[in-house]
Formats: sequence, C-alpha cells, structure tokens
Amino acid sequence: MPRFTLSPRVIPPALFIGLVGLPVLVAVYTGLTAGGGETWDHILNNRLVPYTLTTLIVLAVSAVMMLGLAVPAAWLTSLYEFPGRRFFSWALILPLAMPGYVMAYAWADLMGVAGPLQASIREMTGWSARDYWFPNLFSAPGLAFVLASTLFPYVYITARAAFTMQSLATLEAARSLGTPPLGLFWKVGLPVALPTILAGVSLALMEAAADYGAADFLGVQTLGVGIVRSWMSFGQADTAARLALMLILIASAFLISARVFQGQRGSQQTSKRWLTPRRTPLPAIWGAAASLLCASILLLCFAAPVLRLIWLVVETRAATQDFWPLLRTTLLLGAMGTLGAFTAALVFTLATKRSGALRFGARMVAAAGYAAPGVVLGLGALYILKVSGQALSGSIAIGFLLWIYVSRFTSAGVEPLQSTIDRLPKSLDDATRSLGVRGVRQLFRVDLPLLAPGAIAAGLILFVEILKELPATLMLRPFGWDTLAVQAHAYATDERLPQATLPSLLIVLAGLIPVILLSWRLSRTERT
Amino acid sequence: MTYRTHMIVGLSLLVGAVAACSNPTEPADSATVAEPQRTLTLYSARHYDSDKALYAMFEEQAGVNLDVRESRADQLIETMKAEGDQSPADVIITADAGSLWRFQDAGLTQAVASDDLSAAVPQNYRQSQGHWYGLARRLRGIAYDPARWSAEDLATWDKLAEEDKSGEICVRSSSNIYNLSLMSEIIHRYGADDAQAWATAIVGNMARNPQGGDTDQIRAIAAGECSIAIVNHYYWVRLGASEKEADRNVATSTTFLVPEFSEGSGSHVNITGAAISATADDVALAEEFIAFLLTDTGQSYLTRDTKELPLLDGSALPTGVENVPEFIASGTSLDVYGENQAEAQRLFDLAGWN
Repeated sequence: MPRFTLSPRVIPPALFIGLVGLPVLVAVYTGLTAGGGETWDHILNNRLVPYTLTTLIVLAVSAVMMLGLAVPAAWLTSLYEFPGRRFFSWALILPLAMPGYVMAYAWADLMGVAGPLQASIREMTGWSARDYWFPNLFSAPGLAFVLASTLFPYVYITARAAFTMQSLATLEAARSLGTPPLGLFWKVGLPVALPTILAGVSLALMEAAADYGAADFLGVQTLGVGIVRSWMSFGQADTAARLALMLILIASAFLISARVFQGQRGSQQTSKRWLTPRRTPLPAIWGAAASLLCASILLLCFAAPVLRLIWLVVETRAATQDFWPLLRTTLLLGAMGTLGAFTAALVFTLATKRSGALRFGARMVAAAGYAAPGVVLGLGALYILKVSGQALSGSIAIGFLLWIYVSRFTSAGVEPLQSTIDRLPKSLDDATRSLGVRGVRQLFRVDLPLLAPGAIAAGLILFVEILKELPATLMLRPFGWDTLAVQAHAYATDERLPQATLPSLLIVLAGLIPVILLSWRLSRTERT
Repeated sequence: MTYRTHMIVGLSLLVGAVAACSNPTEPADSATVAEPQRTLTLYSARHYDSDKALYAMFEEQAGVNLDVRESRADQLIETMKAEGDQSPADVIITADAGSLWRFQDAGLTQAVASDDLSAAVPQNYRQSQGHWYGLARRLRGIAYDPARWSAEDLATWDKLAEEDKSGEICVRSSSNIYNLSLMSEIIHRYGADDAQAWATAIVGNMARNPQGGDTDQIRAIAAGECSIAIVNHYYWVRLGASEKEADRNVATSTTFLVPEFSEGSGSHVNITGAAISATADDVALAEEFIAFLLTDTGQSYLTRDTKELPLLDGSALPTGVENVPEFIASGTSLDVYGENQAEAQRLFDLAGWN
C-alpha cells in the first residue's frame, strides 16, 4: 500500500478546496447547531414535508420536460440533415442566457389572466376568466416549465456530445441492418447515450434545486422559498440554514447519481476518435417536421419570452434610466468572478488528476456550493464577516462577493475541464514527465493547451452564470455596485415590471455573447 | 484553429472584459477618501428615482455626502447584524412597521427622543420609545368589482370571511409583510383562535392559489377571475396613473375601499418609516435627515412615485390618491405589527394560506 505523504503539491488544491467549501460548511454547521425552538418545531411539523414534496415534484416534472426538449432536438441535429439544422444546432443553446426569474416574469406576463393570450381568448369568445380552462403558470408544473426551458440546454449539450461521440461502427452496423430511424434512436442511440444524458440532467437539476427567484415570483412553495420565508417571516436565519441542509442533501443525491451514471459509460467508449457520424438527409416531410420541432422549442424557450420583453420595453418606453453603469458593473463583476472561479476549477482539475479520491472530494465540495442557493452561501459569508469584525463595504465586500461566486460556481467550471481531461489518453501525462517537463512549464506548455477547448467552455459558462446571479450579489455588493440583476429584481419586487424589463433584457443580451461563442466553439469541435 | 489561438481568444476575452470596465463611474467607497466632508450612510429598502433626487437635495442643503445601500429589508438586517459595531449605517428606511420592528428586534436601532420628530409625527405613527418614526402612510384595503358588490358588503374584514364570498377573493402569498402586518393586528384584536378561523375562511373563499403581487390581484378582477382583491392602496392608484390605457381601464373598472375591523373600530394603517441605527456616529445629522424627509418637500418627493399618503396633514397629495376614500385609523400601536409577526405566519401556515 502506498504510504500517504504530505507533499507540497497537495497544498494548493487543499487551500482551494477550503476556500470553495468554507461558506457551505459554515451554512451547514449553523444549520446543524442551531437551537431548535418554536419556529423549527412549526416548520418540522407543518411545512417540511410539503416544501420537500413540492421541490421533488418540480424537479421530477422539470427533468421529464428537459429530456423532452433536449433529447429529440439533439438526436435530430446530430444525426440528420434538414432545413435550418446548422442554425438550430447552435441556437438551441441560447436559452442559457435567460435567468430563471426573467423567464418567469416574461411568461407570467404572457400567460397571466390579464396577459395578451388570455385577453384575446376572452375578446374572441366573450367569455369571462372563469368560463374556460387555461394552463396555470403559477403552479408546480408552471415552475418546472420555467426552469426546464432555461436549463434544458445543459442536457442538450451533453446529449449532443453523447450522440456525436457514439461509436460510428455501432450506428452504421444498425443502419446497414435496416434498422428504421426510430428504432435506431430507441434501440441503439438512446441506450448508449443515456448515462451521459442523465448525468447532464442531474447537473441541471442541481441548478434548478437552488432556484429562488422564479419559485418566489410564481408563488410555488419549494424549499428555496421556505428557506427565505423562515428567515424573513420568522426572523430565523438559523432555521433557514437548517432547512437548507435538506436542499444540499437532495443536490448531493443528484451529484452522486451523476457520478454513477458517468461511471456506467466507460465500456461503451472504445474509440477515442471524436468523429461525427455522417448525417442522413431527411425526406422533405420529415425534414420539415424536424425544423418545425426545433423552431417550436426555440420559440417556446427563447424567442417568445424575449420578444415579449422587447415589446414591453417599447410599449412602456421604460428606457428612462441610464443603464450603462449597471451594465459595466455587471460585466466587471462577471469577469472578476469568472477569473476566480476558473482558477479554482483549473486547480481542482489539474491537481487532482492523479488521485481519484481527492478528485471526488474536490468535486463534492464544489458541487455542494453549486447546489446551495445563493441566499444560503450569502448567509454563510455574513457569518464569516461577523467573525472577522469588518464592515461590508469597499474591497472587503467585493472580496466576499467574489468568494461566494467562486464557492457557488466552481463546479460549473470543473465539469467541462474534467470531461476534456477524461478524453485525453493517460499516456500523455507520463510522456510529458518522461521528457522532464514538470511544474509550471508543464502547466503552460502541455496542460493548458490541451485543456483549451474545455477551458473556453468553462470560462464562458462561468461568465453567463455569474451575470445571472442574483441573491448573493444582492446581499454582498458594496455601495454603488448595483448590477442589472439587482436593479431588475428591485423593480420587480416593487411590482414595477415595465421598469424591470429593460435591465432583464440587458442581462439576456449580455449573456448572449458568451453563449453564442460557446455554441460556436461546440460546433467547431464537432467538425474537427 | 489551434489550441494556442483558442487560448489567446479566451484570455483576451477575459482581459478585454476587465479592461473595458475597470473604471466604474460610481466610486466604490468614496467614504474612505480623505475629505473633511461629513458622510451619512443610509440603508434603504426603497428603490425610487424620486428618492434619489431627494437625497441629492439633502446632500446640497446640508453639505454632506450621502452613501446609500439599497437592498431588501431582510438582507439589510443580516448585513447589519454581520457588520456589528463596524456597520457604517446611520439611518434605515423601510416600508411597513413590521419590517421596522425586525430591525429594532435585532438590536440594530436606537431610541431617539427628538422633540422635532415627535412634534412632526403623530404618536400612532411612531414606535413608542422612539426607535422609528413614520414618513408616509399606506393602507391595506380592498379593490372590488362594483358591478358585483356594494361598499356595504365589504365594509369590514369579517365580511370577507362570509360564505357569499366563496370563490371570489384574490390575494397574494402569506409571507408577504403586508399580509403579516394585517394578520398581526387581527390577532391583537381577536386573539389567535379567531384569527386562524378568519384566515381559514379566507382560504376557503379564494378564487385561486395565492400568487403574484398586489397589482396582479387587481388585474385578476378586471379579467373576471375574482371580484375582490386584498391590496395596498397605492398599487390601485398607480394603475390609475399608468401610461398604459389598459392599466387605467383596470383601475376604472374597480373600486377601492378601506375596510374597518368592526363598525366604528377604524382601519389598518401602515407606514414607511425611518430608524436611526444603533451604530450611528452622528445622531444629530441623522435626525436632521429624517426631519428633512418630514418637510413639505421631503413628503412630496417621498410620495410622488410611490403614491403613498404623506404623513403630515397639510402636505399635498400625490396625483391619483384623491380617489382613495376617507378613512379613520384604528390607532393600534404599530409595535403590535412586529410583535405578532411570527405568530401571524404560523397561523397562516396552519390555515393553508400559501
């Protein structure tokens, strides 16, 4: 058995694991040690089960919806040629730029009882709102739809990767044996890709579980909402932390299942060559159907809500305020947070290359942060601030905010980096070492160039995620550092949605640039 | 494209983003710049452009620098608790007495016995020991469909619990502070059992699950989903003053009314108020600022966009508020709204009011 020795190489990853994990740890510790008290008894007896059940229902429905949105689209765009395929293959990632709460504002406005859809039904028929049935967005399935429509691109990306990386031989063999297209999907494509796809779903669900903004706006009683309620209405931050344990527990379950799913796929990947299967042209009618399906998904999850926001901005001429400083702060915090989280993700990935146990530990820590709602991490940061005896202003506040970004989002950076590493042959590392290239030289001359595709994806995903972040930014930003998300939220809570639309739209636009770069990069790698 | 170019593109993106915005116009902490100018730090849960104009006037008039942190009240509380003695906050402004009480309860405010403030603010609109003072008034009332109900049918809160209102009421979530404060006064008047029974009856009469904000409830009346909405007066006034014709139509198709608890008992009135922080360095300056908000200018700017009612009797009403009917305040001590708050949420939870 190899003896465990404490080498200096362990120090950087250990430091980073501590950095990323501390806010979660503090939140968990507070939750565990908080005195019970009347409030906790009340929540335990009356609310814990409903909160948990609602959360699980939302997540389950959301998972089904994400699969329904992502998998057929990914299958079609990876294996078939049809009108608009190239456009759809990258455009279907665009919904990533929509924060859940913005999607909720837009759809609530479209589908609400006073919104344009229902109003035109009433106008056409002369009915009153009580004379007909209309899907209610302010419900658990409604929330599930909102979350699924913003998060399905994560599943779409993994599904596409899984489909395009499938062993060509298997698909060709099945095809040559006359398996019809649907049979090919159900009998060959899906079973082989399923573990990877489910891993993608698990990660998207972790993000969904941490939602607060959309659930609060739609009035769905999830754990995320319960956490904030026990803090606000009962004035018990401790109880909130305790309730957050439940959420972290659920998210850890997703992380572990993601790992189990990923572990299952090993034997399937016999070839390391990343080849795109030849795309079969679809006959005219089926091609049109495929285009229609992709177009509907894009309309539902991106175009309709964005056009509605644009319409509201134009209609109410809400552009009275100067949003340039807000945009600048948003981009600046986004860039700094990305840099921090990316560095942490890089250290996590590189330093744990050779130790499976260390890697799993590091990923668990990162994932716990990813799964914890921003509110909970923000509370953790405030406890640390309290111990440090500082005021939340100036560079201290920025430091804390960036710390929470790192703690919350490192996981989103680790995943693309790790999957790039997993695809590299292990022998490469040994070869590097045998040539005497080590340390910093190895980092810059070998590791970073090899990791570049994953690194760019990681950087872009981190940037978009941080742009959209609301609760921690709201809690920790210093004077004069309002972001677009903060402003949109302020107006929305004051029920001034017309004023909230412009900053919401700007968040989407700012996020679109990195998202487009990301999809461009993804489609390039597929072609090489 | 090579890996190297990928790296260059990626890095230059990051560097570019940092460079493009390395110069935020708003200074991060102008307070630390060595200047003789005095600084007053305000923690506010309000977000109105007219407030900003008002603050600028005070800066000029008093020759001070005003630092403002706007956030949600609950987050300001946690921030101040974490900052402890180091908190830069001098003055706290937030809507709802229940919210002001949370600051007081956390030990973040100080009692100030100011003759000026006490003279300006009537006794039932300030905390009994001077922990906070009202700046503007807000009414929780009912918007209703006048084709369906008369003012008689809805004159008291009890009447909403009657069977003929079944399937007619729209109201927002129970965790909202406006509902908590109303419930707190109901508990104060009738006790926990009756209050829970009232809430249970309201849940039974709801047209739909609680959702959205107050404005959404009023819109639901116009759309015909319900005929009674429990809302604060200014949301109804703002719809009437909206630039959108559809919004104005919503307001004109509904009527606003301020119910009493029982006949002659008066109505539930709430406030937006200010408190002086426990860590305020310059209490006199903080008092001067609050007194400024209680001048005619202060009152008119504070209520211009919000459509709240000014606290001072003689102050001019913001446009649109004249349509709100006359009312008599119940006179219940505002302390009650805070003290009963947790109980109110517990009873709402038990009544099944989401």
